[in-house]
Amino acid sequence: MIQLQNLTKRYGDVVAVDDLTFDVRPGIVTGFLGPNGAGKSTTMRMILGLDRPTSGSVTVNGHTYRASTAPLHEIGALLDGKAVDKGRSARNHLLALGATVGVGARRVDELLDTVGLTEVAHKPAGSFSLGMGQRLGIASALLADPSIVMLDEPVNGLDPDGILWVRSFLRSLAAEGRTVFLSSHLMSEMELTADHLIVVGRGRLIRDVSMAEFIDSAWTDKVRVVSPEATALAGLLAAPEVTVTSSSPTELEVEGVPSAEIGELAARHGLPLHELVPLHASLEEAFMELTKESVQYHGRTDGALLTAETAR
Amino acid sequence: MTARVPDNPTSTTTRDKADLTMTAPSPDRTTARSAPSAAGPRPSGKPAYRITVARVIRSEWIKLRTLRSTWVMLAAVLLTIIGLGAIAAASTTGAVEGPDDGGGPGGGDALSTVLAGAGLAVVLVGVLGVLVGAREYSSGMIRSSLSAVPARLPVLWAKVVAFVLAVVPVVLVGVFAAFAVGMAVLDAGGAPTVSWSDEGTARVVLGTAGYLVGIGLIGLALGLLLRSTAGAISALLAGVLVLPTLAGALLPESWDGLLKYLPSNAASAFTSTVPPESMLGAGTGAAVFIAWIVVALAGAAVTLTRRDA
Repeated sequence: MIQLQNLTKRYGDVVAVDDLTFDVRPGIVTGFLGPNGAGKSTTMRMILGLDRPTSGSVTVNGHTYRASTAPLHEIGALLDGKAVDKGRSARNHLLALGATVGVGARRVDELLDTVGLTEVAHKPAGSFSLGMGQRLGIASALLADPSIVMLDEPVNGLDPDGILWVRSFLRSLAAEGRTVFLSSHLMSEMELTADHLIVVGRGRLIRDVSMAEFIDSAWTDKVRVVSPEATALAGLLAAPEVTVTSSSPTELEVEGVPSAEIGELAARHGLPLHELVPLHASLEEAFMELTKESVQYHGRTDGALLTAETAR
Repeated sequence: MTARVPDNPTSTTTRDKADLTMTAPSPDRTTARSAPSAAGPRPSGKPAYRITVARVIRSEWIKLRTLRSTWVMLAAVLLTIIGLGAIAAASTTGAVEGPDDGGGPGGGDALSTVLAGAGLAVVLVGVLGVLVGAREYSSGMIRSSLSAVPARLPVLWAKVVAFVLAVVPVVLVGVFAAFAVGMAVLDAGGAPTVSWSDEGTARVVLGTAGYLVGIGLIGLALGLLLRSTAGAISALLAGVLVLPTLAGALLPESWDGLLKYLPSNAASAFTSTVPPESMLGAGTGAAVFIAWIVVALAGAAVTLTRRDA
């Protein structure tokens, strides 16, 4: 359980995190979603006590993390894959961190096996690829059987196999009753992993909503119809409040008529249907719609160099 | 510091084992689970993942011994103290004939000759201290370390303990070996020597070891304060080791009263057989030197706990 209360962080004039209040609950995967520069990493650093809030508070299992008597057992965190000394081997890195709460070599070797790093356990962490670094970071997050697992962009740099593994792994951690909190700037990533969404932009809370609710809100009343008799069907559907668009001779996109009615209409006239699919806007689109006001760093596509509109 | 009185040591171990399907949970189910699971009993058979000062020290010790640079630096320190001392002694036997003229009982210069390597070794020990303090900031490892020890201060003390544990044996072996080897070389060359039992010998030899360790600790503190290996090494070399000599040469004599309180000048009060008159007494010098270490570490402690990592 992580609880944020009016959490705010300012760096000079720049407000990185602006009055965030939300809970991250145990037993589910909570996605922390926002464009680059939305304050996700800063928020996570404040949860860990690495950065001090300018105002507001954050508690972990009911107390500030700095007062924890079993830190790594409370939160296992992956902040970025680079928080590692390049000259130290993966195994020694885990041994050193684990030692703070009495985690020994057996558990470390077990974890190296779990994340698939056994073969490179004795190689310096500096020689690791981005994906291997992420795996090492995930191993360090799991060192002391934590009740909260907090991961900043965990699938960054992982291969498809690794991404699948992380997803199912996070799901199983949540199913065990742990609090799982992960950030991403990709909706597609959250769609498959998260039960609950916290959406932020420019440091502000935009939505605190269950995944199911978010998906519901993304539905439209468009229906895609594929039929060899598409033109005939389009004629039958024509009505003032109905929009029919066609991208190919056999395909229609119908707005304003429920799919059931289209199916019945086609059956009455003996028109064969190959596909009848209610459409929803992609969640990525829904997410971008939600955060477009607060995207801080826009790329320009006119051939100029990338600009950061508000960044100083 | 980590062994804070736990207001609820078991707060983190409660596991909600209720079944959970892969779908998004219904609101009532999540509300039930959102009650803070603060009062559950620790499941039996689980290891106690409690943080203790001893465990943090162990962690820092692992960090120190698992870096090759530590061993390279320690070997260099040992070789420098012994090797340069022996070389200095050998060249002395060829160049110097009679007993020195400023010498106290037994000839003070023989002692500073065999310990000549300490002058370079102090830089190496200082750099090793800086590395212990600042290295984690350049790699980003500090975020992992402070996430694991959010109370932070134990990290500083543990680094100090691990550093002292690693360095003290090396410099002790170094100064004793330099003394033995150097005196043997001097003796073989017919130059005057001092024996361990001569007055002041033990103080100078052990004082030199203490000076090395102390500069290392100041380096460690500077590393944590400045968070940059290069910056801290520069500060240590310029501020602690070069400045006193430079200032002594450039500033008028009236400043000497102040300059003798600088760390390396205070240390020379107990690392030379016959401290120059302008220097502090051996006891006072040691006290001033220790005060510098304490101030540096206190500064590091404040920075470490106050600043964002």
